[in-house]
Amino acid sequence: MTATLDARVDTAPPSLVDLLDRLLGAGVVVSGDVILSLAGIDLVVVRLRALIMTVRDDG
Amino acid sequence: MTTGTYLYALCRPDAPQPAVRGVSGAPVRVVREGDVGALVSTVDLAEFGEQALMANLDDLSWLARVAQEHDAVVQACARVTTTAPLRLATICSDDESVRERLRQLSPAAVQLLAQLGDRQEWGVKLYAAVTVPKSGSTREASSGVAYLRERRDEIDRRAAAADAARRQADDIFTCLAGVAIDARRHRPQDPQLSGADAPMLLNASFLVEPSGLDRFRAAVDEMAAALPPDSLILTGPWPAYSFVSMEQL
Repeated sequence: MTATLDARVDTAPPSLVDLLDRLLGAGVVVSGDVILSLAGIDLVVVRLRALIMTVRDDG
Repeated sequence: MTTGTYLYALCRPDAPQPAVRGVSGAPVRVVREGDVGALVSTVDLAEFGEQALMANLDDLSWLARVAQEHDAVVQACARVTTTAPLRLATICSDDESVRERLRQLSPAAVQLLAQLGDRQEWGVKLYAAVTVPKSGSTREASSGVAYLRERRDEIDRRAAAADAARRQADDIFTCLAGVAIDARRHRPQDPQLSGADAPMLLNASFLVEPSGLDRFRAAVDEMAAALPPDSLILTGPWPAYSFVSMEQL
């Protein structure tokens, strides 16, 4: 029998990736005067993924 | 400097002024219009204007800082009142423009806030217990036919493992959705992003009422008990980030 039966609860501050799943992938989308396109946001996510991969490769 | 008004979340018009700083340390205030309020702060468009923003969003340290500052405001507000979080970097030209938008959003926003009430979001991530072996065999294939057979067997094994993983993720999602008010699936995080060795099979959010939290937690624990340690991760409570969709507004 393992000691850990319960799901591990992550009580640390939210990880950046978990946060970005929610902040870029969800939430009310209100087109502001400046931020106009949803397509732009999707592009940002793609570029972000490429960026983080680069960071990890370097690390 | 040319400024804009950065929006964090929608709230009720009687929401108290949160005692928290916003992006770049700016004070946060509530802009009210009729039955809806918005948590906002003033930002410099040299940093948050359309051109600057596109460049800044490519800068991971900038993005991390703003995401955390945004989240801190939403969390502080969600602790004291019903909060409908807005997507990162929603910016209007000024407060009057915010009020104009609130007029357009009401009454959908009023209805949304009433539905959210004091419900909270919980995140559940499932990681694969074992990774599929890279190759079925390390020995040299004795012939072309043997090689092709091994290739085919490996493809079959991978397909079966992927099927089983998908079913497991679907089962867990369906079961937890049954004890939650609402449920959403996010795209599983790439191992390079999550930092975990094992592939992520499920990345989901569940909207849970305070009175249903014990039942939800019990369901998660029951599932975790049947899985290898640390393969099921619960995060939260989160503000209801994943349950405020644009179809509702």
